[in-house]
Amino acid sequence: MPEMRQHGRMTSAWVLDEDDAMELLAYLITAARTQLDEAADGPMRLLTAAHRLAGMIDARASAETRALLEGAVARLPLLAVPRDDRDGYTAQVDGACRAVADHLAARYGAEPTPA
Amino acid sequence: MTAADASEAVLAAIRSRRVVRAMTSEPVERGALEAVLDAGRWAPTAGNRHLQRFVATDHRGLLRVLRMVSPGMIQRPTAAITICTDRAAAEDYGFPPEAPGLFVDVGTAAATLMLAAHAIGLGAGPVTSFSRAAVSTVLRLPDGWHPELIVCLGHPESTQPRPLAPRRAFTWRDLTMWAPSA
Repeated sequence: MPEMRQHGRMTSAWVLDEDDAMELLAYLITAARTQLDEAADGPMRLLTAAHRLAGMIDARASAETRALLEGAVARLPLLAVPRDDRDGYTAQVDGACRAVADHLAARYGAEPTPA
Repeated sequence: MTAADASEAVLAAIRSRRVVRAMTSEPVERGALEAVLDAGRWAPTAGNRHLQRFVATDHRGLLRVLRMVSPGMIQRPTAAITICTDRAAAEDYGFPPEAPGLFVDVGTAAATLMLAAHAIGLGAGPVTSFSRAAVSTVLRLPDGWHPELIVCLGHPESTQPRPLAPRRAFTWRDLTMWAPSA
């Protein structure tokens, strides 16, 4: 049973430990540096970070979040860059954005707006 | 083995080598790693100058940190060889730091290491997207050694990640122009 914390009326599972967080932090900072030299790869690097984060939190996530991670997020292209099939690439990332939005709306949409 | 058999074996190895981006957790034996490194010294270098240096590791913790600072490292290698340019030695030869020849030699070294790995049943994949500053720190590189490319090594997974777009099958004719043109 994952450790839970309280957010207003919501309970939320702890899904990252310090090692995971440091790995992602290192990735983001070093990717920022590499993008100065290879900006065309920017979307791919961000999606790689998303894949890594998904891999870190999957085991401790709620069933609903795990479904998102193992569905729309897992299907995101790991290696492609928006070059050969830019429309297809865009459509796939848009699809993932919609799936994330659906998940967030279902999970948090019923919470009252903070004052 | 006849000369013809040897030729065919070399060509078959060249044709069947692939960049490996998914590797198992099975360690690379030290002897296999040394065999790949030994092949590296046979890579052609401009003027036979050998200005590239190899930094090898099969240390699990070091590999984990190396991957953390290498956004292009999709795979989880169980060994890695970082190809560095000895910029101090290159300067002694009169090369400016960004001389193209230095990078060509990195390429020939990488190709040779990856082909050698393939020949002994290992998977290999090159990574150039990493923080030079961070990798220098992690590997404690000597002054003047500049990390240029990491060759990841490991045992290939049976399935590999696929890019979104299908691979284009080039023939040599697609990539070649005769001179003078017909």
